[in-house]
Amino acid sequence: MSMMERIIYWIAIIVLIAGIVGLKVQISHLEQQAQTVQTQSSEE
Amino acid sequence: MNPKVERIIYLGIIGVLAILLVSFGKKEVELQKEIPITVDQLYAKLQNPSVKVGKNFQIIDVREYESEDEDDEIGGYVDQHIPGAIPLPDCDESKAPPEAVEHINPYLPTVIVSRDGNPEIFKKCAKKFTLVQNLKGGMEAWLEEHDEIVEEDEYEPPKAGGGGGCL
Repeated sequence: MSMMERIIYWIAIIVLIAGIVGLKVQISHLEQQAQTVQTQSSEE
Repeated sequence: MNPKVERIIYLGIIGVLAILLVSFGKKEVELQKEIPITVDQLYAKLQNPSVKVGKNFQIIDVREYESEDEDDEIGGYVDQHIPGAIPLPDCDESKAPPEAVEHINPYLPTVIVSRDGNPEIFKKCAKKFTLVQNLKGGMEAWLEEHDEIVEEDEYEPPKAGGGGGCL
């Protein structure tokens, strides 16, 4: 396997990990918002 | 290491990461459905020049098309609606004007506008769209905050090349 091929695989892996981390942050933010919405609706 | 084995290992890692990414993406979409969009958020969205109602975003109005009660301040779609909104009364295609049904795209990011933001109507409607949010407070809340930004006529399909109901 050439060095070039290895670099391409690593770039793909890093891009995917960055995407997963970004989504995870977004999900936890949305979970907090959803919890706030549920609390508000149960208070009403 | 054998190049073939190395390649399989890399592809395996990429495959697992891709599956994780897709499942997180699905979870995000599901969570977004639970969080209603506020009137101010929708207003800001409509003011954004990159958001084109009918092209990359749609507003679905699930109130009745024509209100029978003349004293009703909120009324139906024809009485007043958010610019660019598509009528789909009770989320039932048979109650909507045929030209409106043609312009509904289930894959576009969608905001559902009901009379008062009723979550039950939203749940019924949300099944039909991929990316969907409920307008918190519905048309009542919109009229409280932005009663100057409404259209008062029958549904008119967007003209070809037009951007829909951009403010």
